[in-house]
Amino acid sequence: MGAPFDISYVFSFLPKLLDTLGVTLMIVAGSLLNGILAGFLVALPRMYKIPVLRTLAGIYLSFFRGTPILIQLFLFYYGLPEILKLVGLDLTRAPVMFFVILTYGLHTGAYAAEMIRASVAAVDRGQVEAAYAAGMTPYQAFSRIVLPQALAIAVPVFSNLVIALLKDTSLAFTLGVMEMTGKAQTLGTLTQHFIETYLALALIYLAISFTLEKLLVVAERHLTRHEIRESRSNSLFRLKKRGSLRTVMADIDIGKGGIR
Amino acid sequence: MIALNQISKSFGRHQVLENISLTVNTGEVVVILGPSGSGKTTLLRCVNYLEKPGSGEIAVGDFKVNCAQARRSDILQLRRKTAMVFQQYNLFRHKTALENVMEALLVVKKISFAEARKRSVALLEKVGLGAKLDEYPSRLSGGQQQRVGIARALALEPEVILFDEPTSALDPELVGEVLEVIRSIAREGITMIVVTHEMGFARDVANRVVFMDGGVIVEEGTPDDVFQRPKEERTKQFLRRITPEANYTI
Repeated sequence: MGAPFDISYVFSFLPKLLDTLGVTLMIVAGSLLNGILAGFLVALPRMYKIPVLRTLAGIYLSFFRGTPILIQLFLFYYGLPEILKLVGLDLTRAPVMFFVILTYGLHTGAYAAEMIRASVAAVDRGQVEAAYAAGMTPYQAFSRIVLPQALAIAVPVFSNLVIALLKDTSLAFTLGVMEMTGKAQTLGTLTQHFIETYLALALIYLAISFTLEKLLVVAERHLTRHEIRESRSNSLFRLKKRGSLRTVMADIDIGKGGIR
Repeated sequence: MIALNQISKSFGRHQVLENISLTVNTGEVVVILGPSGSGKTTLLRCVNYLEKPGSGEIAVGDFKVNCAQARRSDILQLRRKTAMVFQQYNLFRHKTALENVMEALLVVKKISFAEARKRSVALLEKVGLGAKLDEYPSRLSGGQQQRVGIARALALEPEVILFDEPTSALDPELVGEVLEVIRSIAREGITMIVVTHEMGFARDVANRVVFMDGGVIVEEGTPDDVFQRPKEERTKQFLRRITPEANYTI
């Protein structure tokens, strides 16, 4: 397919693809923001077992975790304006980006909700009792005792979530968004050097994933500084050595934050 | 003074506490004994509303709550007059020993940081942990963690400290250090209600021993009365089972 392989194209494509990195990162950032917000809204009724909302939250989770993101994108982009037209809202002129961030946000929200629920549940109940016994209000107990520890527990799952989201954004090109994958398609078609473009693309995704992962490991170390850690020499070969709940949880989940 | 009046509590159909009334005078150390499932821990947890009593009245100092119609603010106020030491220590794991003791001073009592720190350091020194101020709970032994728990309770300057089996989760060789700390604060005249299985400790620290079984108080009196001259058959049975016969012939 196309022209013969030429490694120099990989290097010349890199800066061109990086031009559109901003679009990709914008999708990631926007969706994360929406997703975490949606995640909280969905996790709360499930944690506090609020009757009707809890069922609705369950349906939301099933839909976004049980259908492919590609189909969700199509449904929202083509379907939502049609439905909203019925109630007199005209979305046909809304930018594509709006639909992309909305869909990825809701998709991420489903996984974020489970992440939040599992992390909060993992902080042992005795500490909350100790906080109450000392006269703290429920809000104080949550914000000062539960939240900081839940955050630390959530980091590995969150890390997976962000990286999965980053890779998923490559499907946004199907709606015509000129993010990195879209740009790679165009470059490939123009030059007929498809393999080189995809190689360059893979390198960029890999570099970003790697950086994000390292950043989040640093964050986790900071947040879990109160736990006993193995010595530095051991940590080089740290392969599922720690049997803590946190690592177990991070290992169970396949792909992203799904813990059932 | 703490006065429990006609406290009842049930989990579903199972009645755990049946019209329990108990008065603890200021400066008194009351030890609650009883077989497991007798409701002693539940009773203790009702005093600070970690368990919600079904009915009855709780009075701590000059503050009185009717359990049937307790509001959130009542519960909060009740809890601010009591402190608890837990079987599983329940230290805040993301905070150092010092921060654990300071936490409620800053958040609940709203004392200045410098003052809270000064008080907390003094309390940790008192329980023998002056050298461990900045250690996280994961780096402390069970006995040390429980002593932090006791310092944390003392910091609140409560009307009463509730001890829920404070040594049951400890390795046998660590029990002594914790009991020693509890003994020393008992001597200072701090009001305490202690649920424990340590008979020797109950004997020399308690002003009064309460024996519970099946959700009711079976017998109460001075340690000498209850241990040497128990009146009720159930108390005798319990003591026979728990204290090994002293005069073996091998």
